[in-house]
Amino acid sequence: MLRKRLTRENLNKWIDGLVASGLRVIAPVRERDGGRGARDGKGGLTLFRPITSSAEIAADYTKTDLPFKEWLFPPTEVILHYRIVDGEPVLEDPEVDATKTVALFLRPCDAAAIPILDSVFGGDYEDEFYMTRRRNLTVVGLSCTEPQPECFCAAVGLSPTSEAGSDILLTPVGDEFLVEVLTEKGEQLVNQYADLFADAGDLTKEQVTEQAIAKMLRKESLPTFAETYSELFEHPVWEEIARKCLGCGVCAYSCPTCHCYDIVDEATLFEGVRCRNWDCCGFALFTLHASGHNPRPTQAHRYRQRVLHKFAYFLQTYGRNMCVGCGRCVIKCPVGMDIYEVVKKVAQASERVGV
Amino acid sequence: MVTVTATGMAMPRETVKVSRNIYKPYLMTIVDMRDETHDTRTLRLQFKDPEVAQTFDWKPGQFAQYSVFGVGECVFTIANSPTRKGYIECTFRQVGKVTSALRDMEIGQTIGFRGPYGNWFPVEEWEGKRLYFVGGGIGTVALRGVMQYCLDNRKLYDEILILNAARTVADLVYKSEMDEWAKVDGVTLVKAVDPGGETPDWDGKVGLAPNVFEELKPTPDNAILVTCGPPIMIRFMLLAAERLGFKPEQVYTTLENRMKCGLGKCGRCNVGPYYVCKDGPVFTAAQLAKLPKDF
Repeated sequence: MLRKRLTRENLNKWIDGLVASGLRVIAPVRERDGGRGARDGKGGLTLFRPITSSAEIAADYTKTDLPFKEWLFPPTEVILHYRIVDGEPVLEDPEVDATKTVALFLRPCDAAAIPILDSVFGGDYEDEFYMTRRRNLTVVGLSCTEPQPECFCAAVGLSPTSEAGSDILLTPVGDEFLVEVLTEKGEQLVNQYADLFADAGDLTKEQVTEQAIAKMLRKESLPTFAETYSELFEHPVWEEIARKCLGCGVCAYSCPTCHCYDIVDEATLFEGVRCRNWDCCGFALFTLHASGHNPRPTQAHRYRQRVLHKFAYFLQTYGRNMCVGCGRCVIKCPVGMDIYEVVKKVAQASERVGV
Repeated sequence: MVTVTATGMAMPRETVKVSRNIYKPYLMTIVDMRDETHDTRTLRLQFKDPEVAQTFDWKPGQFAQYSVFGVGECVFTIANSPTRKGYIECTFRQVGKVTSALRDMEIGQTIGFRGPYGNWFPVEEWEGKRLYFVGGGIGTVALRGVMQYCLDNRKLYDEILILNAARTVADLVYKSEMDEWAKVDGVTLVKAVDPGGETPDWDGKVGLAPNVFEELKPTPDNAILVTCGPPIMIRFMLLAAERLGFKPEQVYTTLENRMKCGLGKCGRCNVGPYYVCKDGPVFTAAQLAKLPKDF
């Protein structure tokens, strides 16, 4: 691993250099919506958007409202195109975004979500729609110094300065940045602007890490259920937990790791597309069979799926939790479901049962 | 086609055509069709691409996503055995949007076919064994491919008993085809309908499939039981199998769930940590016993 240091001034020069070199640079940007937020200066959302200069990056950026995943896995995407020619369907493969991209300032939680999505979309049947974007992406992560009240990355095996998923990780130390160059992709980006970077010397992120974790309100390691989900499956605690869940789906849509999708056709008489759209296991019709049978007929069944997928099944199959502790689901849920508290509650219930 | 994010802001500067599209189906021509019951049809399909027609292979028990372009995709078992190549068959009940559109199609029209997906019946492990096949209603469709395979490789297996059960006489599938199978040496065919489902001239059994099966006094020694049907029938068949002394490793079934991708990514068809499309659809009773009641 290459270790460098970067002044704030040189960081902006580097970013502007990347933009000027023709790369698509995506960074957190404050977008004012057309509502009240536009008038009183508050409101709007912080989102990952392409920038044309470092000045456009959101000041005081903590975490984006929506995760980075839409740049690898868009909310809606055409996966097949067809036309009817002389009465017969003629299929066409779509074009997919292959723009060379640098993503700036993903927090370690958001960056760690990327290898999780890689496991899903890679593997036996490689999803070229995701993988093309993935291969053309270089991730520059930004460590956290101010965990938010909802954050709990330390409870799921990460930390405010984790390297997972980043090609380069920047950590603010004093008024400079420690630059950890973690991959070849990262090296390429740094080498092109080598004069902006100095050697790290003895700059470390240990203190920053300690201090950030100290500020995190929810850092006690969360239990997981890969060994115990079978015994827990029929426990009444799920009814209790899911009672207020509306099945609105904002948790899945704002989650950096959720990836369930629907496939539907949309057509006119002579041409059409097959689309892949984001979906959510919390929706009532998610598992409904055409026969009318629904294996998950109540919200308790569905919410159980969410929790166990993240803290049992994915862990069993891929070796890690499907949660990065970003807390977006917690702050966006309209009824205040808190997955950190839910997992603890389920674990307590399992203890009472003697599991 | 250019991909955009929800806000339409992500105009890419460079695009590339997808070259190995895992979601792209083969094109198939409907070459024949047969109605099994008033609401269940079998289609015989052939690959439009002659090279694919030559090389396409699958194993008994695997499934595919069949599509009507513009309407959608639907999962059905590949209903013929790979010992009968040159065509693909599927049998489906008209029950929703895509199956209704499929039922509207005529011979000569084109549909899509994505597959083969899923695991398969381990027919090599069954060699030398006595085979019991118990199908309930539309569940019998899932067994046709593997039954054909075993009949086509008759010498590899001991006696074969097929119980074709349904709610009523009109709901029995593959009637005439199975009558032909019954003529094969060492193959016994038993037909059964639920009490109340018989016609005045019915000469088969009357009773629920698990009960009829028990009355046939099957022996579990060196035997394999393969069953498929509505969830409740499978449940009672597994209980009956246990009572009869079948070990759970000797009992096979095939599950279904609502599916979209069919290849283990979209997160919809899982039963606990296992995707029916990828780790199934074939499961033994031993594996089922470990699965959470999520189907």
